[in-house]
Amino acid sequence: MANPNPKKTSVKRKHTEKDDAPAVAPVTLKLSGLEMLTDDEDGDDYNPEDDTDDGEVDEFPEIDAASDSEEDDEDGDDEDEDESLSEDEEDEEEEEEGSTEEDSEVESDYHIFPKAKTVISDITGQPKKVYPEIEPDYDSDSSTEEATNRVGDVPMHWYDDMPHIGYDINGKRVLRPARGDELDKFLATVDDPSAWTSAFDKTSQEEKPLSSEELDIIKRLYAGENPDENYDPYEPMVEWFTGKGKEEIMPLSAAPEPKRRWVRSKWEKQKIMKIVRAIRAGRIVGQKPKTTSKYEVYSIWSSEPSTSAPPALPAPKRALPTNAESYNPPEEYLMTEGERKEWESKDAEDRERDFMPQKFTSLRLVPAYDQFIKERFNRQLDLYLAPRIQRTKLNIDPTSLIPKLPSPSSLRPFPNYKSLNIRHPKGRARCVSISPDGNWAASGDEDGVVSLWEVNVGCEVKRWKFEGKIGSIEWAPRQDVSYFAVGVEEAIHFLIPPNVDSTTLAQTHALLAPSALPSAGPTPSPVKWTSTSVSSWSNDKPILSLTLPPSSGVPTQLQWHKKGDYFASVSTGGATQNAVWIHQLSKRHSQAPFRKIKGAVQLVLFHPTMPHFFVATQQYVRLYNLAEQKLIKTLMPGIRWISCMDVHPSGDHLIVGGYDRKLCWFDLELSEKPYKVLKYHSRAIRSLHFHPKYPLFASASDDGSIQIFHSRVYNDLMTDPLIVPLKILRGHQITDGLGVLQVKWNPKQPWLASAGADGTVAVWCS
Amino acid sequence: MGRLKVKGKAGAAKNFTTRSQAVKKLHWSLRFYSFLGIFPREPRSRKKANKGSSAPTSFYYTKDIAYLAHEPVLKKLREHKAFAKKLSRALGRGEWSAAKSLEDNKPVYRLDHIIKERYPTFIDALRDIDDALCMIFLFATLPSTTRLPREIVENCARLAAEWQLYIMHTHSLRKVFLSIKGVYYQAEVMDQTITWLIPYSFTQNVPPDVDLRVMLTFLELYQTLLGFVNFKLYTDATLVYPPPLDAKKDDTAAGVGAFSLQTAEVQVKKAAEKIKSVAVDGRTVTGKDVRQTIKSITAASGEQESGDSEMAELEENVEEEEAFVPQTSHTQVASDLPTLQTLSSLPTSSTSNLFAPYTFWISREVPRSVFEFLIRSFGGRVGWPASSGSGSPFDESDENITHVIIDRPSVQKEETPAQRDLRLRRKFVQPQWVVDSINASKILLEDTYAQGKSLPPHLSPFGEYNGAYDPTAEAEAGDDVDMSDVEEEEAEEAASDDEETEPSKDNVEAALASVTEDPATLRAAELAAEAAGMDYGTFEAKVKKASKKSSAKSSKSSKTVEDAEKDMNKMLMSNKQRKLYEKMKYSQQKQAAENDKLESRRRKLQKDKATQ
Repeated sequence: MANPNPKKTSVKRKHTEKDDAPAVAPVTLKLSGLEMLTDDEDGDDYNPEDDTDDGEVDEFPEIDAASDSEEDDEDGDDEDEDESLSEDEEDEEEEEEGSTEEDSEVESDYHIFPKAKTVISDITGQPKKVYPEIEPDYDSDSSTEEATNRVGDVPMHWYDDMPHIGYDINGKRVLRPARGDELDKFLATVDDPSAWTSAFDKTSQEEKPLSSEELDIIKRLYAGENPDENYDPYEPMVEWFTGKGKEEIMPLSAAPEPKRRWVRSKWEKQKIMKIVRAIRAGRIVGQKPKTTSKYEVYSIWSSEPSTSAPPALPAPKRALPTNAESYNPPEEYLMTEGERKEWESKDAEDRERDFMPQKFTSLRLVPAYDQFIKERFNRQLDLYLAPRIQRTKLNIDPTSLIPKLPSPSSLRPFPNYKSLNIRHPKGRARCVSISPDGNWAASGDEDGVVSLWEVNVGCEVKRWKFEGKIGSIEWAPRQDVSYFAVGVEEAIHFLIPPNVDSTTLAQTHALLAPSALPSAGPTPSPVKWTSTSVSSWSNDKPILSLTLPPSSGVPTQLQWHKKGDYFASVSTGGATQNAVWIHQLSKRHSQAPFRKIKGAVQLVLFHPTMPHFFVATQQYVRLYNLAEQKLIKTLMPGIRWISCMDVHPSGDHLIVGGYDRKLCWFDLELSEKPYKVLKYHSRAIRSLHFHPKYPLFASASDDGSIQIFHSRVYNDLMTDPLIVPLKILRGHQITDGLGVLQVKWNPKQPWLASAGADGTVAVWCS
Repeated sequence: MGRLKVKGKAGAAKNFTTRSQAVKKLHWSLRFYSFLGIFPREPRSRKKANKGSSAPTSFYYTKDIAYLAHEPVLKKLREHKAFAKKLSRALGRGEWSAAKSLEDNKPVYRLDHIIKERYPTFIDALRDIDDALCMIFLFATLPSTTRLPREIVENCARLAAEWQLYIMHTHSLRKVFLSIKGVYYQAEVMDQTITWLIPYSFTQNVPPDVDLRVMLTFLELYQTLLGFVNFKLYTDATLVYPPPLDAKKDDTAAGVGAFSLQTAEVQVKKAAEKIKSVAVDGRTVTGKDVRQTIKSITAASGEQESGDSEMAELEENVEEEEAFVPQTSHTQVASDLPTLQTLSSLPTSSTSNLFAPYTFWISREVPRSVFEFLIRSFGGRVGWPASSGSGSPFDESDENITHVIIDRPSVQKEETPAQRDLRLRRKFVQPQWVVDSINASKILLEDTYAQGKSLPPHLSPFGEYNGAYDPTAEAEAGDDVDMSDVEEEEAEEAASDDEETEPSKDNVEAALASVTEDPATLRAAELAAEAAGMDYGTFEAKVKKASKKSSAKSSKSSKTVEDAEKDMNKMLMSNKQRKLYEKMKYSQQKQAAENDKLESRRRKLQKDKATQ
């Protein structure tokens, strides 16, 4: 289409102004100019009405490909077929048209409009312009424009399945133009530079490039302008009703001027007088007094408080500054380089002081403190965010918390120093036992050596060697006989020490190897008793041996009943069931007291006075009545793994030690929970022993130390037992994480024998 | 069976409200709660109070919050919120007249009832005024910005000046401490010890991580509080509140001098006098008038009005008190029973007029506001150059000046005989002298604080915790020296022994070593010494030393035994006790370590000084 030149339009406008032509929208001018060309082509048959009409149509062209073709049609009837055939051609023509248009434009100024006749109006008597009537003839109708497809405004999908897309003016089918596939489309976008400015035309069913005018419209729409380029927002106003010569002379109404226009209102006066009177009376204050100051002060504390509620806790005052905060502190308060670095590297919250002490030689050199406002702010935060609680501060001497106990020196005798050292060169000394008369001691090690020695001097008298490690040694508690039992791998051997006087020896023989064996028990026991006859017996051999059932492990504990007839053995390291056996010497019979037991039995103990039996599993200690065969009570020491226990000679108190370093003291009459729990060793407790006569007990631990306690038990039920730590004996070396493995008291003296993992057995004397 | 209990309907769960719940309920920020006297509370079990959750939060009593819901201030605050919305809308629409009328009728809340509720008695208010003073003195020095309106700063400055005037007037300042953070003042008002901190007069800038709204909220309350407190203090002291401010003087940086204190009767009189003076101009002039006119002439600025010079008044007070004090002391001697009057006059007589006989000149590099306050609080007269502000009662050439507070290095310069004379008549001291004298409550020797001299350390007058390191203690250091002496002697002895290797001497030593209180052994040792040919003096000395050593040894051994016993006894402590004991021991050890560190450092410094 013709690309209108802005210069041209302005020129045109000037012309119209000069002509003083009525301001018909100048937009139409250009289009009419365009139209003119057809007029020229058509010859002199030119219709001014037609022009205006067309102009209206074209004033706001739709952005539709169809309109494009329509406008094209207007250009020339002759060219219609050609145009529809090829768009390229049309473009060229348009350019040509543009050029021709410029030439014709000059003439258009003269006969662009149908001439308006100036006529004197019959009504007003003013001159007016009269335009010729518009004749709606063939030329003016856009519907006569020739288009290839004449189906009209019907949905085009009706023709979707047809080979044609409609009919031309002659009723012939217009065939569907060939449309390429997607690839062609893509290629077209690449090849054709104008592809991105073309749109799909529904009626012709093909892509048609947008004309430059349409593009211009799009551009304007994008810019938010009026789509019509000829629209002038600053047109001069046409004064139709005002201005010179247009004043209204005649009044609209003939009514006389009302009185209220010049007489004062009585009612208004009354209202105003009311206000005036109010003001005079002071009921209305002219200017409300401004909002009063908040800080108007008065004697606020002269009256009683309004609420009886106690005021909130006052906030604690800030700590007063110390010497370090001085601007000129003593020099020792200043930080060293290292301290300064540490202070700087810490977070503000972690610092002990919130400032760094500094020294200035003179007050004039002291700078502003940069954290001042921050500190104040933090204080405010504390004031409103921190809960206020009254805390009583303990102001006591910490030493007053330590219980007051009698001095150990007043509780003598107790073992104080190491008097003897017996060495087991190979293997750890596992166990030690002292004879009931307190003269002899037997100790066994993991190498299988049992050594018998004199307690006072430490001279070794005899040495036995067994296969496997020695788990336990225990002297028989009877005074009239003299022998001891040794627990070795799945066997218990009875040994008679040398140098026993003949009567005792004879009695011992009679006990351990009687000439007439007692009849076997009613139920055969898996434990075999084999004794050597007195004639073939020598000191080197055990006189009596018990073979425990196979794979029962090492008997780690042997426990004699105080009368010396029964003894119990506990094996560990083998099968958990049948670990406990009670053996009867006189009947040469062994029995398992528990058919089934919960947990792995660690230890057993005979009650010293009653037919009761303590059984310690890993976490509990159970007390059974053997005579009635029932459970009396279960003690809960709260230890993870019980390692040792001992019962007080009175039978009312029990101490239990564990691998988790705890020692529990039970008052059996009191509770199932410990009366006292002590935790003082740094490693596992290995062994505990009450002295049979003196009020002492000892605990041995893997930390290599032995702790001696004074333990006084009162008959009075009201008084709690007194436990006083007396002495820590050190002297055993820690080897492989093991310290002292067993402690035993001398039954006659306040002396202690201890077997250590370092292979030594020590005697501690008072 | 009782009724089933529903969880969270009774007990702690109901009695406590969490922070967010409270905010949600009241629609107002937390900082106003504390302002209204409601504080977070610590429940016995946080979990129970928070319905099983152990999330960190703070708790309020539900009843407190319910009480706050009816607080008139909160209502006003809500109204203010609405007002702010209306105002911004009016401004946005350009409805200026509407905005103006809105602004004129904006809701204002008063905090007096809150002051009354939070501090039912005046003593309560005084006890809690520390923070208020710190904040107000801080804000009095801050520059006003868009966030900090000028009115607030001015009001703070006024309140601060009023407070200082009161303290000066009543001579109730007790202690001062120049710290690196600022100057700490401690005053005793109505038997309440009040401590406040004033930053050094530099421009402080509000750091970005400080929420100024919180501070302003508190400041609002504090301003009200201090206003009421000042009113009460002034009226109790029969002074006029507010003290009239001379705007002219204030503009010329007269500081507290811009206010004039007037007693209530004086004001009445003065008003009458004024009328008279207007009526009769040529009256006979009193001696006071003459003095005042002289002063006004000598004043550098010459702006001081002779009418009601506060200085003169103060001076009068001082004179009165001076005249009064000896009398009371006499009466006290005469009558054993102390009367209320004597009791109240006692403390003032001893310290509060420390500087009364002196006249000070504050050099221009010394902060005038601080030292004017200090000196006048202790009854001294102060003057300052015009560069430090107007209102100085006398100029530098005044004959009465006894002390010049100067803080610059001394420079030798030529001077006229008159100047020399003047210089010799005055004492030039550094500012620390004033503060240390106040803290020592006696006039210290000026020589150690003379101009240009390195100052002795400035120590905190407030003291530290019990058993803290005392930098002034010297005795211990002496002991240590003794000990080291002994050691040295021992070393010497050993050396001499090696040299001599006399058997007789060894004998003596052995005998001495066994010397105890037992007289028999002492005699034996004496004999041995005689045999070795030792004179009696040396023998005596040796005996002493030996006994000392042995006693030390025995005490040490007994100590270790005791310690061991105690250690063993600790086994029997319960877990709770042991933990408490260990905590206490830890803190004790920490303090001891700190003290030891300071002690050793000081010894090292002394040694370094000695070697130099």
